[in-house]
Amino acid sequence: MNIFKLLIGVSVLLVGCNNAADDYIGLPTPVNFEVPANFPEPNYDFSANPLTAEGIALGKVLFYDGQLSSTGVVSCGFCHEQAFSFTHHGHTISHGVNGEEGFRNTQPLHNLAFYKEFTWDGAALHLDLQPIIPITSEVEMNETIPSVLSKLQADPKYSYMFEAAFGSDSITSGRMLKALSQFMLQMVSANSRYDAYSREEGEQLTPEELAGAALFNDKCASCHMGELFTDQSYRNNGLPLNSNFPEEEGRMRVSGFPDDFYKFRVPSLRNVALSYPYMHDGRFGNLEAVLDFYADGMVDNGNVDPLLKREDGSLGINLSASEKTNIIHFLKTLTDYEFIQDERFSEF
Amino acid sequence: MKVLNYMAITMMAVSLVACDNDDNTNTELTGEGTTRIEFDNSYSGSDLLLQTTSYSANGTEKIVIDTLKYIVSNIRLETEDGELYTVPKEASIFIVNEANEESRFITIENVPAADYVKVHYGIGVDQDKYLQGADGQGDFLNQATAQGMMWSWQAGYKFIRFEGRFTAEAQPEETAFAIHMGSHGSSLDNYKEVTVDLPVSAKVRTDITPEIHVVADISQLLSGEGKLYLEEKSQIHVDPDKSPMVATNASKMFTVDHVHN
Repeated sequence: MNIFKLLIGVSVLLVGCNNAADDYIGLPTPVNFEVPANFPEPNYDFSANPLTAEGIALGKVLFYDGQLSSTGVVSCGFCHEQAFSFTHHGHTISHGVNGEEGFRNTQPLHNLAFYKEFTWDGAALHLDLQPIIPITSEVEMNETIPSVLSKLQADPKYSYMFEAAFGSDSITSGRMLKALSQFMLQMVSANSRYDAYSREEGEQLTPEELAGAALFNDKCASCHMGELFTDQSYRNNGLPLNSNFPEEEGRMRVSGFPDDFYKFRVPSLRNVALSYPYMHDGRFGNLEAVLDFYADGMVDNGNVDPLLKREDGSLGINLSASEKTNIIHFLKTLTDYEFIQDERFSEF
Repeated sequence: MKVLNYMAITMMAVSLVACDNDDNTNTELTGEGTTRIEFDNSYSGSDLLLQTTSYSANGTEKIVIDTLKYIVSNIRLETEDGELYTVPKEASIFIVNEANEESRFITIENVPAADYVKVHYGIGVDQDKYLQGADGQGDFLNQATAQGMMWSWQAGYKFIRFEGRFTAEAQPEETAFAIHMGSHGSSLDNYKEVTVDLPVSAKVRTDITPEIHVVADISQLLSGEGKLYLEEKSQIHVDPDKSPMVATNASKMFTVDHVHN
């Protein structure tokens, strides 16, 4: 009987110590999305794509993977550089594969959870679907979704990462897009000096910055509204047409309505000191040039927003030299240094 | 003899009971079945032949059609009593491609047994589906990409791809035309609903699979409620007036020719 018990014990041990450990994939680890105290409610439906550590990690690898482009070089991070608030440093318009050029300036990636639509002209109605545009654009990444998926399927690290994030190693477009969204949704920029001041966390603004804030509220905030610094509307701000890009129509390209000609979505001004050059085609190299334009450079391009018309019918916003200087002081307080150094978003 | 009499009576009784009328209309309305919808693309009553045949459009233009594809979604079946069976949304989206015969037959399973008299469906993709993000697209994103039914510069689907070549009285040189109609972001929703009546009911049973033969008269894309002259504009992609016109024309071009039960 003793031998019998011994045999049972040994066989239980043997059964217990099988290779189950190799097959064990844990459940994904939930990550909480924190809404900054001074921000509105998010627009993104997290219930359809809950944040997990594994989903975010997969999204990060995808974001920086050049395989999503036809030449293996152009990843999302190629144009969306963290140090410049995820814009394309110093580039007016961006170039994609093989130096192909588009006609739009790379926009920063921050606070995407709070937006209803995406891109300068509202060409994407949901964050998950936005990457389809750069991935399939011939002048950006020049790929097709099925072809990208086969490259991911052939890359051994992805089957493990997809399994960890989504429960099986099936690599689908839906999962790829959800993972990218999870990574991008994490990019919340809400810790600038302005935020610390706005949330009354003890940050002081200098007299110039305070003067600039008051001027900003008076002259700029009707469009660059609230803590997101945009009302998310599409407006024509009287830019002279850029003859380099006759194909540019603004939002009219998406809606078809002539009334949308040269209307662009009001961009957020967070981290604006880092995201030069400015406007949809990057035509202004610095903030001084932007304010000079608003004071004195607007033209009637056929469709200028009524908010930008003065009482005497002329176009523009009255700004003296010292007012411009103070506004720029204020705009610099919107730079979030934590955000651009946050390792969670970094390539290396 | 009495035994024989009893046996005869018994046998007669048994045979009477055994020989009931077991024809199809007595099958119970329980369980689920399958139905098939065929999308048969025609041109003014004639068969639609791609690439080779010239058709008249609006009386003044002649067109040769090279590509015809459209998205059918949100299929619902309705009974005489107004009861609706809604095909689950994620499974209810298809691309009908004239060049691919198999794609013209849509099979719908797990349909509650009933006599259906109407079919409702949408042409295109409704705004709700976009707002469901990646999860809501499922495998359809890949299908649409593979079939050239996704725009690149806008993250949206082409609801209809209608391409070919045309000549007109004042434009005798053959010119390409392409109509890609979809929704214009959130600004203009070109998704349209269609309802077709069935001339006889489609009897879905556990053992009957009705086939509903829908005919689409493609001549109505250009010559329906609204008239589109290709000479005026032969490339329609995001046109604020003509795109909705195409959508409306498309929604009215379907009839049910017959039903096989």
